[in-house]
Amino acid sequence: MHFVCCIKQVPDTAEVKIDPASNTLIRSGVESIANPFDRVALEEALRLKERYGGRVTALAMGPPQAEEVLREALSLGADEAILLSDRPFAGADTLATSYTLVKGIEKINREHPVDLIFSGKQAIDGDTAQTGPGMATRLGFTLLTYVVEVQEIDEKTRQIQVKRRVEGGLEIVRGPLPALVTAELDLAKPRRAPLPSLIQSLRAGVKLWNAEAIEAEPSKLGLKGSATWVRRIFSPPVRQGGPRFSFQENPEGAVEQSLDVLLSDPSFAQKLSSRWKA
Amino acid sequence: MPRNKKGIEVAEVISDRCIGCQICIGECPVGAIHLSREGVSVIDPDVCVGCGKCFEVCPVGAIRYERKRKQKTAPETLPPPQRSLRDYRGVAVFIEVVDGQGAQVSWELVGKGRELAEKLKTRVIGFLLGHGVEAVAREAIAYGCEEVHLIDHPGLDHYFPRTYGQALAELSQKVKPEIFLLGATALGRELSGVVATLLQTGLTADCTALEIDEEKGFLLMTRPTFGGNIMATIYCQNYRPQMSTVRPRVMRLPEKDPARNGEIKRHSWSPPSGPLPQIIDWIKDVSRGDGMDIGQAPALVVAGKGACDSASMPLLQELADLIGGTVACSRPVVEAGLMPYERQVGQTGKTVAPKLYIGIGVSGAVQHLVGIQGSEKIVAINSDPEAPIFQLANVGLVGDYQKVVPALITALKKRIV
Amino acid sequence: MTESFDVAIVGAGPAGISAACLLAKKGVKTVVFERGEYPGAKNISGGVLYGHDLAQNLPDFVSRNCPIERNIVESRLWYLAKEGGFSLSYRDRIFFQEKKYNAFTVGRAKFDRWYAEQAGKLGALVVCGTVVVGLLRDGRNQVVGVQTDRPDGDLRAKVVLLADGINSPLAAQTGFRPEPKPSQVALAVKEVIELPEEQIQERFNVDPGNGVTIEILGAATQGMNGVAVIYTNRKSLSLCVGANLSDLTRRKIKPYEMMEDFKEHPAVAPLIQGGKPTEYMAHWLAEGGYDSIPRLCGGGFLIAGDSGMLFNALHREGSNLAMTSGRFAAEAILEALEKGDFSRKGLQGYLSRLQESYVCQDLKKYRRFGSFMENNPEVFASLPEWAGQAAREMLTVDGIPKKKKQRVIWDRLRRQISLGRLLRIFWNGWRSVR
Repeated sequence: MHFVCCIKQVPDTAEVKIDPASNTLIRSGVESIANPFDRVALEEALRLKERYGGRVTALAMGPPQAEEVLREALSLGADEAILLSDRPFAGADTLATSYTLVKGIEKINREHPVDLIFSGKQAIDGDTAQTGPGMATRLGFTLLTYVVEVQEIDEKTRQIQVKRRVEGGLEIVRGPLPALVTAELDLAKPRRAPLPSLIQSLRAGVKLWNAEAIEAEPSKLGLKGSATWVRRIFSPPVRQGGPRFSFQENPEGAVEQSLDVLLSDPSFAQKLSSRWKA
Repeated sequence: MPRNKKGIEVAEVISDRCIGCQICIGECPVGAIHLSREGVSVIDPDVCVGCGKCFEVCPVGAIRYERKRKQKTAPETLPPPQRSLRDYRGVAVFIEVVDGQGAQVSWELVGKGRELAEKLKTRVIGFLLGHGVEAVAREAIAYGCEEVHLIDHPGLDHYFPRTYGQALAELSQKVKPEIFLLGATALGRELSGVVATLLQTGLTADCTALEIDEEKGFLLMTRPTFGGNIMATIYCQNYRPQMSTVRPRVMRLPEKDPARNGEIKRHSWSPPSGPLPQIIDWIKDVSRGDGMDIGQAPALVVAGKGACDSASMPLLQELADLIGGTVACSRPVVEAGLMPYERQVGQTGKTVAPKLYIGIGVSGAVQHLVGIQGSEKIVAINSDPEAPIFQLANVGLVGDYQKVVPALITALKKRIV
Repeated sequence: MTESFDVAIVGAGPAGISAACLLAKKGVKTVVFERGEYPGAKNISGGVLYGHDLAQNLPDFVSRNCPIERNIVESRLWYLAKEGGFSLSYRDRIFFQEKKYNAFTVGRAKFDRWYAEQAGKLGALVVCGTVVVGLLRDGRNQVVGVQTDRPDGDLRAKVVLLADGINSPLAAQTGFRPEPKPSQVALAVKEVIELPEEQIQERFNVDPGNGVTIEILGAATQGMNGVAVIYTNRKSLSLCVGANLSDLTRRKIKPYEMMEDFKEHPAVAPLIQGGKPTEYMAHWLAEGGYDSIPRLCGGGFLIAGDSGMLFNALHREGSNLAMTSGRFAAEAILEALEKGDFSRKGLQGYLSRLQESYVCQDLKKYRRFGSFMENNPEVFASLPEWAGQAAREMLTVDGIPKKKKQRVIWDRLRRQISLGRLLRIFWNGWRSVR
């Protein structure tokens, strides 16, 4: 079986501090990491490779430094790592991104037919969760999102059975291969790289493919290939901290004063009284 | 304009505006631009030759450069628009069906759709798919749809991305709305991605605000990035429909008027060929409380590391019941095995925006705060006066929650009948 | 893992990487294990490195863009009383050009990372985020590899070089290095204070790129056996205060309190005025000297750097001893590889090299220095106070005849220390460093 895992390099928003004065992110000195959801997806791909045999190819699109997340993938046990990197790729929205990634997958597919694509359900910087569905649609792969468990892959009938988390519950779905799975955080617990593959990855090379290598049409790449553009960015209205009352010093007073503050807005007080029906 | 050591007038980056798209870096013929650690472009004045290419290609006007040439805010060479944009009229809303009824978020979007349609002097259109959903079509009209385009087919009895994607794309291509809104439910987020790709158009997810540009009449979609700390306003100038998803409870629920008039247009449809997935089983969410998705709850009582105690759960549940809300938690509580992951609030859990958030023993790690910023009112109870959450809370109570919460419950009961 | 190596080095600090550079240059299959996420993540020092020793491993370190903070052109020695202090400084033109980079300051996170990169370029593999938890031994109890905390994490190697710092839990595993006694280690805290480049140059009277080191004895350590330093970096100052661990525990003084008091001292405060404290960290220093050095070599293993307590407290030399001992270890390993003998005997070349070099010779010379400091606490408390008061007395012009002032000074001396004791201190001190 051939598993392809898509990984995105993102800023480590867990390391980011919020500037208390403006309540916005301080981005300086933030390290880049592999998107945690993609790490989980990679872990599942590696586990399935151990279970069913086959190979895992890690794929990323980004600037040259995104090579780091691919090296990490190799250190965990991926068999091959490919970076799609080229100036025309920059500035892409999800439409252009899914196009670029799919051209990469098509090239991979020509050499080793792809059975399953894994990726995280969303990236922690963009949070759109659109790229997975976009890729599956372009490729005609069965789309299975919000997956919390891969129950079975039946190689004979070419089917995959998964458990998905949707509103209100869990759904068990069985669908035909090839498929694209997007991972929920609890799909798998990322492993620590074993020593042999970690050492191997220090020697290994990450393949670099540019626009020409994946036979991409320039008009569909990057900003030119994007349907949406950013008009402007701004900080959201600052959230200020309000008063603090010490319960230890003044139990009754503290609670009463807190409620005074909380219910000072009559429309809010009314909404609360009506239990949000108003 | 500033000059460098060689006397050349150089370009400068306005860092606040820079969105880090790196297009200027690619375009610079002398490699004078690099990406700083903050993720914004920086121009080395000593290398810059003052050609102004970066200024021309910057999509957000983040380069300061003076030339007697015309201003540009978008790249020159654009692919020609798909069809004449004027062919596309109307604001379409996808009506999601849950348990035989229209999902509330769809009605919220119909309400917003009316507002947008009025500005554009056009109509609100409902797109409805399913099997045996006539009643929902009438409901859609009652909430404000002037037309409902319906595909009622056994093949659409259950949602699959491939079937619904194809059906919805077909409807959109027939009806040609200029705007297409979907609720950002799990289904909606997935389906919108499929449809946007089939239509090769622009999609903006999780919008918190939708407006019409006064001059050009296109849709301005504002959404949070970086977990909500940077807001971005996006537009889709040359592609139609302009697609957007919006989370439940962001837009106001409009009034339902059963006397309203509207048209139901039925369309035929053939399912796509090839094998479809099958649903093997369905396990309903049996978590505590009313099984409500915490992302939908209007009020939340959130247990943090400081309240990570199974004996205290009934107390928190009592408070939650009192305020008409649900109990949720931060990551340490899930890691301690006290609550399931579905209850986790925070960036890697669920981003929530309840009307009332009460944090109990939540210190306020960045990832958590980032996931609750959109809450209308935040109340924090913590024994540590320096806990970061107090910087965000509308009001804070410093003390042992085991004493504070009962007192709060008693006092609240008196105030909200 | 099944693949084996010639040499496994534990610790990607100056000792380990120096060995790795030399071994890799000679084509020896070398792997270095580093506990931190990157080399330098877990390393702290005041920040002075010595060009001579670095050049032995990388002669072209300057052209390889070694991240140098400032080239040291002046060394100061301060002897502080509570309210004042004495200063002795030496600046020499030779350090500007001819002997440039004789000593220079570095930031360890940057330097160690750069240094490890050089080893990587020469062919050594540096594996980070991996802790070596044990040593593999064969039937004859010879060390034949290491156990790491990664899955499938045992690695066989012909020789293991332990260079994992002063805390080295592994050295204890060899059975040759007992846990250092509290009197043999000092606990030091360090604060980095940011100041604009030009301001540092102004305050210390140096040109861009050049800098000053200040070694401080006396009141800075609140009467405890210890030392403080101020080193100039390009855009910051490193302040360190350290005291002997047994003193600290006896006096129950918290290290950060020492630092706060130190920063307020009238000699120190003006230098750091307006600066922004950015980092705060703490570390151990090996103060045991020659007599605390464990067995540095055994069947299949060698110990280098701080791990082997190779630290010259008096001259604040640790990094150069680390680099040199790392180099000697590599040379001894090359010999052993040639002979195919990795027993204690086969690796003996390491010990002889250390003995013949300044490393052991210096340590032997100063072996009594540690106990001198321990046994003469007056050096840190009453002596600087008396000296300070004496100077104050003499320098204050208040109409009192000098002879009277002299008598006051003498009286104080007799009361606080006694002349005999003072002379004995000087005599013992002289003998300890002879």
